[in-house]
Formats: sequence, C-alpha cells, structure tokens
Amino acid sequence: MSQGNAKNHNGPSGGLGAGPGAAANGERGYLAGGLTGLGLLAFAFLPLLLNAFAQNSAPYWLDVINTVGLYTILALSLNVILGFAGMFHMGHAAFFAIGAYSTAILNLDYGWSIMATMPVAAVAAGVVALVLAWPIIHLRGDYLLIVTIGIVEIVRIALTNNVFGLTGGSNGLVGIARPSVFGFRIVQPQHFFYFIWAVVALTLLLFHWLENSRFGRALKFIKEDTIAAENMGVNTSRYKLMAFVVGAAWAGLAGTIFACRMRTISPESFVFSESVLLFTIVILGGKGNQKGVLLGSFLVMGLPEFFRGFEDKRLLVFGAALVVMMIFRPQGLLPSKPSRYKLPEGWDDRLPGPGSPGPPTPGQKP
Amino acid sequence: MQILSLSSVTKTFGGLVAVAGVSCGVDRGAVVGLIGPNGAGKTTVFNLITGSIKPDDGHIFFSGHSIKGLRPHRIVALGIARTFQTIRLFQGLSALENVLSGCHCRMRSGLIASLLRLPGQRREERLVIDRAMGELEFVGLAGLWRATAGSLPYGDQRRLEIARALATEPKLLILDEPAGGMNEQETLELRELIGSIRKRGITVLLIEHDMGFVMSVCDRVLVMENGILIAQGTPQEIQTNPKVIEAYLGLDDDD
Repeated sequence: MSQGNAKNHNGPSGGLGAGPGAAANGERGYLAGGLTGLGLLAFAFLPLLLNAFAQNSAPYWLDVINTVGLYTILALSLNVILGFAGMFHMGHAAFFAIGAYSTAILNLDYGWSIMATMPVAAVAAGVVALVLAWPIIHLRGDYLLIVTIGIVEIVRIALTNNVFGLTGGSNGLVGIARPSVFGFRIVQPQHFFYFIWAVVALTLLLFHWLENSRFGRALKFIKEDTIAAENMGVNTSRYKLMAFVVGAAWAGLAGTIFACRMRTISPESFVFSESVLLFTIVILGGKGNQKGVLLGSFLVMGLPEFFRGFEDKRLLVFGAALVVMMIFRPQGLLPSKPSRYKLPEGWDDRLPGPGSPGPPTPGQKP
Repeated sequence: MQILSLSSVTKTFGGLVAVAGVSCGVDRGAVVGLIGPNGAGKTTVFNLITGSIKPDDGHIFFSGHSIKGLRPHRIVALGIARTFQTIRLFQGLSALENVLSGCHCRMRSGLIASLLRLPGQRREERLVIDRAMGELEFVGLAGLWRATAGSLPYGDQRRLEIARALATEPKLLILDEPAGGMNEQETLELRELIGSIRKRGITVLLIEHDMGFVMSVCDRVLVMENGILIAQGTPQEIQTNPKVIEAYLGLDDDD
C-alpha cells in the first residue's frame, strides 16, 4: 500500500525531489515493503517456527503473543477515543469487562455459542458506554479522566457484589465454552493465535478506514480545536459520544475473546490498573498512530516477559523507561502522521509547477 | 430582502452589558461592515449570531428561521459561516484538511459507511476533495494544499480560514477582522477576494478596524459603541455622522 501512495504523491510538491533522489526513495519504498512482507509472512508461521525451534516453551510464548494480540485489540479500540478524538479515558477495562461478562452469562446461563455472543457483547458494552458517557461527554481533559476512573471502579464493584445474581461475585464465572469458527473449534494456543491476530488485522484495517474518512476527520478536528470544529459545522458532542461508543463496543468484542480464551473470568481481571495499562500502551506507542499502538502493546505486554529472570526489578526498569520516554518523546514512539490524500483527476495539471514558491511542508514524504 | 435580522438582542456578562437591545438587518447579497471602538460588543454580536453564546433576550432570524439558541454546528448547516478574530485554524493539519472540515456539514457518510469504506463513501470523498481544492484555488492557495496550516504565512492563514468557511457553502459569511495584521498588498488582495465572494452571491458581514478598507468594501456600515447600535447607513453617511465622529474621536469635554 505504501508503494501505491508513494506513486500517487509524486504530484506537484512531491516533484520537488524529482531526479535521482526520487528513484532512491522509490527503491527504499520497495525494500521496506518487501521487508514488511517477509516479517508478516514469518509472523503468520510463528506457531510452526516456535514449535521447530523452541519446542518446550512454544505454548508459553504463544500465550504471550496472544496476550499481546488481545491487548492490541483493546488498545486500538481505546485509540479511537484517546488517540483519534483526544478524550482522556482511563476506564476502558469497564467495557472490556461488560463484553466478557455478557459472553460468559449468555454462554453459561443460556447456552449461546461463543461466536453468537460476540455481537451482543459489543452492543452491550456500547449501550452501557452510551448511557454512562452521555452526561459526561462535554467534560474536558482531566475532568473526564477522573469520571472515567469512577466508571471502571463502579463496574468492578458491581461485578464483585454479584449484581442481579448473574456475575458470580468475586469468584467470577467458570467453565466458559470454547468458540468455533466456521465449524473449527478453537482450543489450543496456536488456534487462538490465528483467531486473535485475524481480529487484530481486521481491527487495524477497519479503524484505518475510519480514521481516513469523514468520521475520523471530524474526530481529528475535535482533538485539534473543539470550538473551531463546532463552528465549522461538526456536531462535536455527538461525534465524541459516537467515538466513545465505537471504542467501548470494540472493547466489548475483545471481552468475548478474553472470556473464551481464559474460560474463567472474575472481577480482578478488570481492575483499574488494566485501564492504566491500556492507556499507557496508547500514549507510549503514539496516540492516534495504529502502528504505534501495535508497537506499544508489544513493548508493554510482551517485553517484560523476556525479563522474567529479573522478577520484580523489571517493573522498576519499566517505570523508569516510561518516565524517560515522557520527558524526551512525549508524543509517543510513533507519533500520529498527517493523513495522505490523493487528488482527483486533473488537479496535478492545474496546480502551479514544482518551481513555485511556497513554504516547506513538514511531515510530507514523497 | 433581509437575510439576517436581529431584534432587541441583549447579552450581559455578569454585571457588564455587552450588547444592549441591538436591532439591525443585513440585506441579501450586500457587504456590510460592523465597526466601533474596542469593547463596543462587535465580536459578541458575531458570537450571538453564530451560536457560540446565547442571547439573554431578543430574536435572531436568518432566512426566515429563528436561530436563537441553536448550537453553532446547526447554524453552520443553515448557512452561516465565520472566521475568527484570532486565527483558529487546525494548526497541525494540512490546508486541504482544514478546508475539508468546512465540507463536513454538507457530507452524508456516516459511521458504518466510514468504517467499511463503502462505495458511496469513496465517491463522496473524491467529490469533496475536488470541491475543497476548488475553494483553495478560489483563495489562491491550491498549490499549498499539503502545507501544514501552522506553517503558512499570516496572510495565507487568513485566506485559508476564509476558504474553510466557504467550504460550508454559506449564504452569509461572517469575517472577524479579516484584514487584521495584514500588510497593504495583502489587504488589497483581500478586497478583491471579498469582491469575488460577493459575485458568488454570498452575503458578507465583517468587523474591521481599517476604515479605508471598510469604506471601500462595504455597501452599508453599522456602528456600535458600548453595546448599543449608534448609527447605520452607507459609508458616506457614516463618515459624516456626528455620533460616529464623537464615538471615535471623543468630544472636548469628554472625560
């Protein structure tokens, strides 16, 4: 895809670099594309590779990768709220919990299949988000943050107190079934690997489309300047609410995957620190940049596993790294990049030539 | 035929009466200037018309609709667009994206169409980029469509703000000190631009301190002082109006 864009953007100002430099850029583009392709291919065969080279610890590492995948889905859903719309939301675990419990209850008490519960889990989390966020959506920055912390605590306490006699109190719910997709039962870590990472890929694609659309742009305008956005005709409170509901619904969907993977869920899986973890992933990786969020999940959820030998000291190092990071690179490892646009037919000829005066255009990559 | 009319519009902030019973109208197709000393309540009037703040009393009609109390995005959809006294572009976004923000209210693609990139959404996206580029071309910034708004020179930022407002397809364009901070050449270009905007059939209402600019561009001028409309008329009438001269120059015994 990057190659296609590179071509499209050899337009007027891209033409500034026409000549040998442009050709080198093109080659580098192909090289990067090729390497990414190889990397993806290797990742697709990861379960086989792990079995071949690290037979004993393969299931363990697959579990780690699966956890990374699950948190990637969650962090990508939080990214819609925190990254795209710029709303400080630190209660995302609440919607994750609602999704997981919806699946567990429907499966255990009503005998639904896991995959059938998935849309219900998403809708349930979305509806709860809609009701809870309605009165608070106009709050800004830190005020919203505090209220969302309240939300995650309320949900956790409600689950612990066995609301409606459905949630099993602090013991949680046990014996959730395994999912089957197109008749194939997903049981082992390598099954979950493909299941989870397929959802990650789908999430990346859908939210990439969302970001580069009327909807995503509206969120971007809100993040940049809410008052200007409202005055240019964006219904800011509606879009903020919708972003919140979309993010929450997707977290609910991730809850389904969590429930059927663990088979046992309890309130302690959805505590405040889980929300903080997700928040950290998005901020560390680069809010608004999906690749950054993916990288953030690997670093926050995956990297500590490599340092198990250091036991508790790894958390100390992790904390210190975060502090350093926020001082020297507050925008995250991969900050969000400007969107690319392809001009419709005819515009390239109508524009002034490459020699025209004009300020440099930061963030532009031919 | 008046496109906009205010009747007895009043707004107080705490004990301060910012706008006191202002009644006035703007004719369709005209270029109208709103002038007055600093603190006269001009920008407050603009904020009341665009819905940024709500009047305590009075009525505001636009094209026959009462727009009093509507939120800004609804008023934009009805056909009033504005620029700001202090430039309020989306600084980190490209010139094109800034203009696309104006197109938002004329687009239809919703959440599902955006999430699934449905064919209708893609068609709309192509059309809207074409239209946004058209507005950039109209203000003379098409070649800079990729430039970050914040990186543009001041005069270009002012023009980009106008392009963004025009992208909402307004019937009435409200400009808050469009020539503010511009040099002579830029002011001259702005005058031509306002002429072209009027040729498109768009009514213009503007606040400006540059009297030469106001008198040469506007058909009618409204004058405010201390929240009250003290005079209105053609530029010639205003220039010779004793009340206006008093407001601007002060009387000898004025303390």
